[in-house]
Amino acid sequence: MGDHNNMKILLITTMISSYPGANTVGQAHLHYSPGTYIIRVPDPVVFPESFYMRCYEKGIDGIIIMSSGSDCPYEGAYRRLSERVARVYVQMKENGIDTSRLKLTTICTVCKAAFLKEINEMQKNILQARSEKEGVAA
Amino acid sequence: MEEEKNTQSQENESEEIRVGVYVCHCGGNISDVVDTKAVVEALKKKPNVKIAKDFVFMCSDPGQKLIIDDIIENNINRIVVSACSPTLHETTFRKALTRAGLNPYLYEHVNIREQDSWVHKGENEAATAKAIRLTAAGVEKIARQDPLEPIVVNAEGHVVVIGGGVAGMRAALALFKRGLGVTLIEKGDRLGGRALELDKVYPTEEKATDIVSQLENAVRSEKLDVRLNCEIEMIEGFVGNFDVQIRDKDSKIDKVRAGAIVLATGFDHYQPYEGEFGYGKSPVVVTLPEFNKLIADMPQSDKFTYKGKEIKNLAFIHCVGSRQVEGVHQPQADGRVNEYCSRVCCTATLHTINKTLDKFPNLNIFDLYKDIRTYGHGHEDYYEKASKRGVTFFRYTDDSIPEYAPSPNGSGATLTMKDVLTWNEEVSIPADMIVLATGMVPREISNLVGMLKLPTGTDRFLQEVHPKLRPVELANNGIMIAGTCQGPMDITESCAAAGASAAKVSILLSKKTIEMDPYVARVDEAKCDGCKLCLAECEYKGALFMAENYAHVNPALCVGCGACVAVCPPRAINIAGWTLDQFDGMIDAISMEELEPAMVPA
Amino acid sequence: MSAATIQKKADVLVVGAGIAGLQASLDLADQGKQILLVESQPSIGGRMINLSKVFPTLDCASCITTPRMASVAHHPSIDLLTYTEVNKIERVNGKFHARITKKPRYLDETACIGCKRCEEACTTYLPDEYDHSLGAKKAISIAFTNAIPQYPVLDMDECLLCGACAKACPTQCINFMQEPQEIEAEAGAVIMATGYNLTEISAKKQYGGDKYPNVISPLQMERLLAPHGPYGGVMRPSDGKIPDSIAFVQCAGSRDKSLGVPYCSRVCCMYAIKQAMLLSGSLPIADITIYYMDIRAFGKGYEQFYQNAKAMGIQFVKAKVGRISEDENHNPILRVERQEDCSQPEDVTHDLVMLSLGMVPAWIPDRDGIIPLEIGEDRFVRSVNEKVTPSLTSMEGVFAAGTMTGPKDIVDTIVEAGAAATEAANYLRRQEGR
Repeated sequence: MGDHNNMKILLITTMISSYPGANTVGQAHLHYSPGTYIIRVPDPVVFPESFYMRCYEKGIDGIIIMSSGSDCPYEGAYRRLSERVARVYVQMKENGIDTSRLKLTTICTVCKAAFLKEINEMQKNILQARSEKEGVAA
Repeated sequence: MEEEKNTQSQENESEEIRVGVYVCHCGGNISDVVDTKAVVEALKKKPNVKIAKDFVFMCSDPGQKLIIDDIIENNINRIVVSACSPTLHETTFRKALTRAGLNPYLYEHVNIREQDSWVHKGENEAATAKAIRLTAAGVEKIARQDPLEPIVVNAEGHVVVIGGGVAGMRAALALFKRGLGVTLIEKGDRLGGRALELDKVYPTEEKATDIVSQLENAVRSEKLDVRLNCEIEMIEGFVGNFDVQIRDKDSKIDKVRAGAIVLATGFDHYQPYEGEFGYGKSPVVVTLPEFNKLIADMPQSDKFTYKGKEIKNLAFIHCVGSRQVEGVHQPQADGRVNEYCSRVCCTATLHTINKTLDKFPNLNIFDLYKDIRTYGHGHEDYYEKASKRGVTFFRYTDDSIPEYAPSPNGSGATLTMKDVLTWNEEVSIPADMIVLATGMVPREISNLVGMLKLPTGTDRFLQEVHPKLRPVELANNGIMIAGTCQGPMDITESCAAAGASAAKVSILLSKKTIEMDPYVARVDEAKCDGCKLCLAECEYKGALFMAENYAHVNPALCVGCGACVAVCPPRAINIAGWTLDQFDGMIDAISMEELEPAMVPA
Repeated sequence: MSAATIQKKADVLVVGAGIAGLQASLDLADQGKQILLVESQPSIGGRMINLSKVFPTLDCASCITTPRMASVAHHPSIDLLTYTEVNKIERVNGKFHARITKKPRYLDETACIGCKRCEEACTTYLPDEYDHSLGAKKAISIAFTNAIPQYPVLDMDECLLCGACAKACPTQCINFMQEPQEIEAEAGAVIMATGYNLTEISAKKQYGGDKYPNVISPLQMERLLAPHGPYGGVMRPSDGKIPDSIAFVQCAGSRDKSLGVPYCSRVCCMYAIKQAMLLSGSLPIADITIYYMDIRAFGKGYEQFYQNAKAMGIQFVKAKVGRISEDENHNPILRVERQEDCSQPEDVTHDLVMLSLGMVPAWIPDRDGIIPLEIGEDRFVRSVNEKVTPSLTSMEGVFAAGTMTGPKDIVDTIVEAGAAATEAANYLRRQEGR
């Protein structure tokens, strides 16, 4: 677990589905890494590309956007969000940030297993990206 | 927009930010894992934090009293509580702020139970560090929060109901009885709509005209404002404040102001194309509505004569214009096929078959169907009765749609198909007359759809907000739907929908004003450079617009999705309560590399 | 010993907090009416919160129900009583008087913080009725993860009185001596929303639904499919095997005079299709067969949903299932009489079979008392103006919402709940003489 504790993962959750989903994981007393920080928003479409880049600058290792997917109550928001994420990927590449450190996914209010799976995968991605970077540096 | 201004002007720049932080033990649920004392000590060192305390149960009365006392006695003007999930107690603490005379939106609830202590058991040190960062993020967020007020708009106590059929009358009456003013607009020259075409209705066997008169008499005796021969010229405005222009048959325009609108524009019968099962080419091929009209006034007889000829074999074909399959059926004018089931035709057909047999007991009746969908109360009885009375059922599939061939002598036809019920045997059904059970299509209301940007589905019917949970509301706030403008329904279902839409209107207009959450877009006019990039992002007509060279928000129409926020280069637009600066502050707190030596838990 | 009777007053008494009762309560409370909402179960949410996903949107049922449950729980105009029975409702001088009993949870709700420490401490395991006995729960437990309110119930019949829960409770709220609380309520109108039960799985003897472990009910299938279900995936009850071949038997409790249920239950075709689609998503290589008489996909978007299911490779077989037996490995064997070809009846073995049970009223006035509403031949509460005002019952001032007047899907239930709310509001206004 030591490896996981020195990494910070930001989970961007929605008020309507993935934030309550994270609560469901808590109510079931499941376990995941304490390096995981959850913020909630009406919809992640609010964040510009620069928000993500700033997060990486500040030292966030990975970001998982847990959208409401088809449950999204806002017209056109999911489409805009996925288009924006595609643009963030481009910027990440330009800045030498491994794109596996950003993931757009959908989590509902009772998706306990999927929630944990996303965190585990992100941890693996971050470790992988780190070792690749170290490899390059070496 | 006065309400737009009052949310912006309340910020008092000179006011010192004085945050109070309260960390809950939750009786050990939090404090067994998170060192709550360490959280308090770390937060005390944070700028803007004037008071930090921990307590065994913050949600208890003594816990809330801590907050109220600090607001009153120590001039605390921002509150952060780190405790359970906000879904449980955010409203509890907001109310406590209100009781202490503080704006309830100056409150931030940090979740260190469901999303910290309960999921990091055994990693107490890391869980504590996380609680410190999360609480610090809460402080960063609330320090950048100005007081918010709910958005308030006028609610005109008047409703315009469009469509004078059963659903429209039903909705209009319910609203009138609720004490609201009602204008009922009907395009035709009398009330009743499609029900006027029906004889008796299933399953109650009431006369449809009795249902119509019952409603019409009520409408007349209640002195509702009924406008016959009228159409909608223009609708402008938004929830609580619609301006409706009504054009009468002399093209005179009248204006009505309405708080809400109910659409009850109904359906049209599917019109078979020429040659569909011989329709239009042979006089003995008719639609179900035509057939019902035809036999309505016929007396009981041993013989059924039509156009001078005796009809011995009568065939009914289900799903004409409904349940169509792409590549099998001829597309409609817009290039699409009618994939949907029209819901009422199975029972309506079997109802007609029984009625026909009551009058002409000697008729041979054939029923050609895909599935018999007699789903509702009493519907199955018509199916059973028809079976018992000797009606012959054939089941066809999309691979073998009945083929129509006129008889050589021109007096009737043969229908050929593979019958599933007899193991796909090819059968030829002699029919002296053919009745097509035609489905429903929405009325032509493209003017309304265009004018109000009403959402429609691939089936061309009006599309409700959520097909499960919000069935009578449109995405257009303040506009409800009732009856078959939404999709096929029978009278019972249309009336229920009318009742439900009346409930939604009553909720909106039960007070003189409509209050809405303040979490909508706001424009900082000083920062806006008028680039208009935001306009393209907004999906909600009228919510965002340009005037005097900068973007304006109509808070009554904005839903607060934030799509506009992300594209604004100078960050001039933000969602109240969820600004990008607030999120930046939170990220700064979360990404704090090292907690100061003194802040590291012992 | 027992506390004094509590008196309550409301504009409308709503009986049942399933989706119909929740919606009717919200539609009235949002108009400013004071509501007393009474639910017999420990949590609100009714049958809907129990489902995996809903047709035809495939929305997660919990995700769309919980916000509505929370709105009711937090509503300033709704007085919510859970785990509470209504014993009698009488109409006296145009007002309704109700006698109500709040059953003991054996804890102080005002002190409980829903932390589940009692549940962790408890050592007695019981079958979990929320998971339809597929899973287990403790003798003191919160009904399910997202239950509202988050208070446990102690099952006094099974409790060993070991005191472990009381010791673990941080607020000392456990009270083994708690008595039922009697309540008298007065209301201006009543909305009944008592919902449905499924027909008994044992009712059709030829199907042996109560004997064979791998012949399950639709609500059990819902739990197997739910992301927070008892096994965390679809496994069959007898041996935990992941099924390769799953069959649905339609009209296994409806359109059948021998069961006393001659009517169509309206939802079974659609829930079977939905479950079949979800199964084919989670078990992509499994064979899925639906044996049916007619597919009744009549609602908005339902036919398209059915066509999608066909395109996904789900087998729809028009056939009658004569009887079900099982082999030595508990594999159900169906005697299938196909209608689409003239072959003889054949025996088909599947790994798991779901019987599409029908709907019967949960509460029947002449059987269960409370309030003497007229019922129809189908034993559902009868509407006295079915075409124009379907929510009108035989008693003035009492309105019906949802499946208590007949089988109905969620959207039709919600529409009718709104209509009942309108009728109740207008009735109150008339009573007030305005």
